[in-house]
Amino acid sequence: MVKRIFLGGVLALLVGLAIFTGFAWRPAISPIARPAAASFAPALVAKGAVLASAGYCASCHTAKGGAALAGGYAMATSFGTIYSTNITPDIDTGIGGWSETAFRRAMHEGVRRDGAHLFPAFPYDHFTKLTDADVSALYAYLMTQPAVRAEDKANGLPFPLNIRLLQAGWKLLFFKPGRYEPVATKDATWNRGAYLAEGISHCAACHTPRGALGAERKEKAYAGAAIDNWIAPPLDKTNPAPIAWSQSELVAYLGTGVSLYHGTAAGPMAAVPRGLSRLPAADVAAIATYFTSFNGSAARAGQDAALIQKALATDRIGTGLQYDAGTRLFTAACASCHYNGSKGLNPLRPDLALNSTVHLDDPTNVIRVILYGIDAKDGAPGVVMPGFGTGFSNADVARIAAYLRATRTTKAAWPDLEQKVAAIRAQGKGQE
Amino acid sequence: MTSFTINGRPVSTTIEDDTPLLWVIRDEIGLTGTKFGCGIGMCGACTVHVGGRATRSCITPVSAVDGADVTTIEGLDPKGEHPLQHAWREIQVPQCGYCQSGQIMQAAAMLKDFPAPTDEDIDAVMTGNLCRCMTYVRIRAAIRQAAGTLAEGPKA
Amino acid sequence: MSRLASTAEATRNALSRRGFLVASGAAGIAFGFSHVLAAIDPAVPGGTPAAPTGPQFEPSIWFGIDAAAIVTVNIIRAEMGQHVGTALARILADELEADWDKVRIVHVDTDPKWGLMVTGGSWSVWQTFPVFSQAGAAGRIALIEAGAKLLGTSAANCTARGGAVHAGGRSISYGDIAKRGGVARQFTPEELKALPIKPAKDRRLIGKQVAALDIATKTDGTALYGIDAKVPNMVYARPKLPPTRFGSKVVSVDDSKAKTVRGYLRYLVIEDPSDTVPGWVMVIAQNYPAAIRAADLLQVTWTAGPGATTSEKDLQAHAADLAGKAESGVALDIVNAGAKPTNAASTLERVYTTSTVLHFQLEPLNALAFEKDGRFEIHTGNQWQSLILPTLAKALGVPETKIILRTYMLGGGFGRRLNGDYAVPAALAAKALGRPVKMVLTRQDDALFDSVRSPSVQRVRMSFDKDNAVIAMEHHAAAGWPTQMNAPALLAKTKSGGAYDPFAISGADHWYEVGHQTVHAIPNDLANTTFRSGWLRSVGPGWTNWALESFIDEAALQVKSDPVAFRLKLLTGAGRNAGSAPSAIGGALRQAEVVRRAAARAGWGEKLPPDTALGIATSFGQERDMPTWVACVARVHVDRKTGVVRVEKLTLVTDAGTIVDPDGALAQTQGAALWGLSMALHEGTEFANGLVKDTNLDTYLPLRMADVPELDITFVESEHVPVGLGEPATTVVAPAIGNAIFAAVGARVRHLPITPAAVLDALAGRSA
Ligand code: FES
Ligand code: FES
Repeated sequence: MVKRIFLGGVLALLVGLAIFTGFAWRPAISPIARPAAASFAPALVAKGAVLASAGYCASCHTAKGGAALAGGYAMATSFGTIYSTNITPDIDTGIGGWSETAFRRAMHEGVRRDGAHLFPAFPYDHFTKLTDADVSALYAYLMTQPAVRAEDKANGLPFPLNIRLLQAGWKLLFFKPGRYEPVATKDATWNRGAYLAEGISHCAACHTPRGALGAERKEKAYAGAAIDNWIAPPLDKTNPAPIAWSQSELVAYLGTGVSLYHGTAAGPMAAVPRGLSRLPAADVAAIATYFTSFNGSAARAGQDAALIQKALATDRIGTGLQYDAGTRLFTAACASCHYNGSKGLNPLRPDLALNSTVHLDDPTNVIRVILYGIDAKDGAPGVVMPGFGTGFSNADVARIAAYLRATRTTKAAWPDLEQKVAAIRAQGKGQE
Repeated sequence: MTSFTINGRPVSTTIEDDTPLLWVIRDEIGLTGTKFGCGIGMCGACTVHVGGRATRSCITPVSAVDGADVTTIEGLDPKGEHPLQHAWREIQVPQCGYCQSGQIMQAAAMLKDFPAPTDEDIDAVMTGNLCRCMTYVRIRAAIRQAAGTLAEGPKA
Repeated sequence: MSRLASTAEATRNALSRRGFLVASGAAGIAFGFSHVLAAIDPAVPGGTPAAPTGPQFEPSIWFGIDAAAIVTVNIIRAEMGQHVGTALARILADELEADWDKVRIVHVDTDPKWGLMVTGGSWSVWQTFPVFSQAGAAGRIALIEAGAKLLGTSAANCTARGGAVHAGGRSISYGDIAKRGGVARQFTPEELKALPIKPAKDRRLIGKQVAALDIATKTDGTALYGIDAKVPNMVYARPKLPPTRFGSKVVSVDDSKAKTVRGYLRYLVIEDPSDTVPGWVMVIAQNYPAAIRAADLLQVTWTAGPGATTSEKDLQAHAADLAGKAESGVALDIVNAGAKPTNAASTLERVYTTSTVLHFQLEPLNALAFEKDGRFEIHTGNQWQSLILPTLAKALGVPETKIILRTYMLGGGFGRRLNGDYAVPAALAAKALGRPVKMVLTRQDDALFDSVRSPSVQRVRMSFDKDNAVIAMEHHAAAGWPTQMNAPALLAKTKSGGAYDPFAISGADHWYEVGHQTVHAIPNDLANTTFRSGWLRSVGPGWTNWALESFIDEAALQVKSDPVAFRLKLLTGAGRNAGSAPSAIGGALRQAEVVRRAAARAGWGEKLPPDTALGIATSFGQERDMPTWVACVARVHVDRKTGVVRVEKLTLVTDAGTIVDPDGALAQTQGAALWGLSMALHEGTEFANGLVKDTNLDTYLPLRMADVPELDITFVESEHVPVGLGEPATTVVAPAIGNAIFAAVGARVRHLPITPAAVLDALAGRSA
C-alpha cells in the first residue's frame, strides 16, 4: 500500500528546466458524458472488481468512515499531508467524465485527465505494467460504482513540492512506462505471479527500499523498508523469520491473513490478504510461486521441525513461579493467547518465537502491535488482539519487547526501547 | 458507527471508536456479567470471546470489533450449562465470584485449543486471569473435570 | 486484648438479645417487610428475592417460613466470597429441622433493627452461631406446638424433621402450618437461652458438605455486585483525587480540556462536612469511559495536606525510631507472675519489617447514591454498614434514619470495604446534583486511596537464663493504626488509660510461656498523617506474627533447639495460656496440637534434597478470646545463584472448633494461605511523595495461578465453639517460608516481601 509520499518533486528542480518543459507538458483529454453502467459487460465489471480488490484501490481511496472510493484518505508525511482523490464516477468531483483513454493514461503514465502529473503516491510505476484488457476491466468496474459527490481535499504540501509539473522530472529520472514482459525462461505460473505482484498488487511499493529521491532501488528489490510508521519486512533471502516463507505459508498468509509459522497480517499489510482474497486461488498460488523463486525458502526446507520444537520449548519459560518483571508481564498479559506449549502450533495462537516481527532488526512492528492491537477486520479475520497502549506505560511495553527479544531470539537486544515506544506512541495508531 | 453481534444478537453503537468494548457491553448493552478489574489487560475479569477467542474487553476499542462476533458469559451457553459452568458449581470454585466470568470465558476458549490440557498448559493460559480470592486450586480442578466431560462427549 | 474481647463479645451478646416474637402472617408487615424485599438474594439472577407465598410465619426477625414452606433466612453479613449466608443459614436450618432445599437467604438492607452490621474479624460464624441456633430452636418448638394442634395431638408426641412436624404416621409441613396462620408463641430471653440446642451428633446440616447458595449466579454472570447497580436517570462519576489523603484543598479547577470529551457533563468540588474525602473533585459524565477521560483532562490545583512528601523510607525510619525506644507507645495489660527478671544470661534481639500492602480487591470501589422519597439510598458493597452510616449522616446533614444502605455482593472485601469512605463522595454528588450518581474508581484511583496495610517495624527481644530457659520477652510493634484512623471509638483501653488499636497489635499477645512479657503497641503517627491505614485480612497478625514466628525460630537457634520442639516446649497451656470457656477452651495445648500435626503431616525431620527445607510457623488467629489455632509448614527450595525462593508445598492444620461448612472452610483456608504466600513473596509497594507507587497489575504483582504450590490443608475434628476461618491462615505462611529459607540455605530474611535480592543479601551475610 503506497501511502508513503515520494517527494522526488523537490529534486526535480535539479533537472534542467529547458529539457524539461517540452517533455513535461501533457494535453488535457476532453471530458465525456458519463457512460451508462449498462454499457459495460457484466463479466468485464466482475473482472475489474477482482482487480480493484487486488490493487487495494478502495483501501487508499476511502477515507475513514467515508464513502467507498470517494477519496479523502489522508496520507501524512513529514512533508505535509496528501489526500487521495475521488475515483467514483461522479461527473464533477470524481472520474465520471473520464474517457477510458484518459483512465488508461493515468494508469499507465501517471497523468490526470486534465494533463496534470499525478504524485507517485499513486503507484502508476506498477500499474503501467497492466495489460490494456485489465485496465479496461478496472475502468468498467469503477464507472459502474455508485457516484459520490465529494470534492478532493487540497493537499497540504508546501511549495515547491506542490508543483505537479515538477513531477515530470521525477518520471524522467525513475519512471519507465511499459507493459509487463513475460520472462521466457519461466513458466506461465511464475509469469502470472510476477505480473500480479509487480503490477496490480504493487508489492514492491512497500517492500523495496527507496533511494534518496524516493524511487524504488531496483538492485535492492524486496529487501524490506520502512513504510507508514511500520516496517515492511524483506521478502527476499534476508527475511529474518526463523521458518522460511514456503509456498504453502505464503498461500495461507496472502489468501487468509493467517499463517502457521509467521503470524497474521497487521498494519498496512492487513489490507493485502483482504484485497487478494478475491483472486482465484491459482492467482494467489502464482504470487507465492513468484516470491519463493527468490526468497531462498527451498534451501531452508527441512529445518522446520527443530525450530518448532525449540519455539514450543520457549513457551515453558513463562510457566511456573516468576519473579522477573518482564516475564511476569508476559505471562499475565500475553501468554493466554500466545502460548502453544504441549499442543503444537496453532495459527490463531501466533507463536512469538517464530513470528518475524520479533526477529526484525527494528522493533517498530512489535511495539505497534503491543500498543495498538489488531482489529477484527485485520490480521486473522474476526479476531482481535487488544491494544495494551492505553494501560501500559512505555516502560511496560519496552519490558515485554525486550523480554521477547531476549527469550525468543538469539539476536542483539533492541537499543533504547523505551524511547522508541514513546516515539511510536506519539505517532498514534494511524488510519489502519 | 460500529456494528457487531453479541451473543448472536446484532447491535450497533455510535459511541466514540476508542471506547473500551467492556463499557459498551456493560453500560450500553446492559450485560453486567463481564467485569471491570484493572482496565489494563492484566487481570482477565473482562474476558469475552471475539470470534471465539478469549479477548480482554477493557483494552479492546469498540471499533476493533466492527463486524465481529462477541460472546459474553451470558451467552456462553444459553442455559448456563456449559461443562465448565457445571464443574465450577460442583467444585464450588467461586469465592467472591468477581473474577469468575472472566476465568470461565478464558477457560472455555482454552479448551477449544487444548481439549486435554496439561497442568502446564492450564497454568500458562490461565495465569493472565487474576483471582484475588485465590481460588486457583479449584479453577485448575474444575478445568480438568470439564475437559474430562467434554472428552466423553454428550451423554447418550 | 481485653477491650477488643469485650467489643467482640458485646456484639455477640447484642445479637442474642434481639427480641423474639412469634406471630403469624400480618406480623411480616409490622417488621417492615418491604425492606427485606428490597434486599439481595445471592441465589437469584439479579438478586431480587422472590415474594413470599401466602402468609409468612416469622418467629424472629432472623427468618420466616411461607406457605410454600420456603424458609428465608435474613443475613446481616456481607457476602464477599466466604459463602457466609450459607454457613449461617445452615446453623439456623439445622436447629429448625428445615428442608435445606427450601432454604433461601437474603442479605438485608440496613435497618436499625438489625443492630451492628459488620463483616470482618472472621467473626460472623462465631458471633451468629448461638443466636441462630436459638432462633432455629425457637422456631422448631413453635412449629411443633402449632403442628401438634393441627394434627390433633400433643407436642410431646411430635418430632420435627425435614421441614415437617411428624406424629405417628402423620405429618404436616411447615408450609402448611404457616398457611393456616395463627401460630403465636413468645419467648423470654431466659427461655431462649434455655432452649435445648442439639448435641453435635444429631446435627444434620452443620459440618456436612453442601452447595453454597451464592455459587450458581457467580458462574453465569447473573450475580449482582455494587458495580452492577443501576437506576434510571443516573449519571456516572469518577473522582479526581487530590495529592494527599488528608487535608487537601481545591484552589482552582479548569475543565476546558475536559469539555472536549463527548458525554462530559460537569465537575463538582465536594464539600464534605464529615471530612472523609477532603479535596475530592467529582467528574460527572453520561457514561463511565467519558468520566475516566474527562477526569484525566480536568486540571485541578490543590493545596496539599500533610504527608505530601512522605516516602516509604520515612515511614520505616520513623517506625524504627519509635520501636527502638523502650517506653514508646502503649504497654498492654499482660498479667505477669512477677517482676521483670534480672538474671538473664543471654538475650536475643531482632528487628522485623514489612512493606506497605494493597488490598487490591478485584472489584474497584464504587457506590451508587440517590435520594428517593426523602431518603438517601446507597447501593454498594460494604463490610461495615454501621460504621459508615453515621459518617454519611454527618456528610449529608440528615439523620441516620434517612439513609439506607443496600449491600450488594462484594467483588472482594479483605477488609477494604470495612472503611466505607467511598460512599461519601457518591452520596454528596447525588445530593448536589439531585439525581442518581454512580461513582466508580478506576483501578489506579482505588490503589492510590486504598486503606493500605501499614508498613511496620517491630523489635522483639527475649532473655534466657543460664540453662537457656526463656525468662522474659518484649515485643514493640510500630505501625499505622487502622482503628484510630477509621473507628476511634473502638480503640482499646489499658487499665492505666492508654488507648491502643487492638487490631494493630493482636498476635503479639501470644500463647507461648515466656516468663515476664511486655508488649508495646506503637502508633506510627507519620503513617497516620499520610494515609488512612486499613484493616487488611488478619490486620495486625499480618505483621506481628511475621516477627513473632520468625523470632521464635531465631530463638530456637540461639538455644540450639529444634523449631518444633522449641515451640512445643513453650506451649504449655499453663497460667494465662490455659484458655477459657466459651471459645478458647484448651488454650495453648490446642495450639501445640496443630503444631504437632502439621509437622507430622509435612514429614518434619525427613531428609530433603539440597537447598530444600521445611519451615514452621503457628498462630492463634486474630484474638485471644476467639482463637483459631493454625500451624503451617512450608517446603521451599532456594536457588543460591538467583535468590529465587520456590515454595513447593504448604501444609496447614487448623483447629477452628466446629466446622459449620467444611468446603467453605477449606476454600477460606486455601484463599488465606495463598494470600499469605502472595504477601510473603510477591506483594508490597512503597510510598513516594505521599502516595503508593504501584497502582496496577503491571507493577503490583499478586500471586497468580502459575505461582501456586501444592497445598495440604486439614482441620482438627472438634465440637468446640466454631471460631473464625477467613483470616488466620494468612499469617503463618510468611514466617514459615522465612524459617524454611533459613533452614535451606542459612539465610535469615527479616523483611516482607522476601525478594530474591534480599535472599542474596542474606546469603552474602549482608544485613537484610
Ligand atoms: S479489566 Fe480487563 S484485564 Fe483487567
Ligand atoms: S473469586 Fe474473588 S476474585 Fe476470584
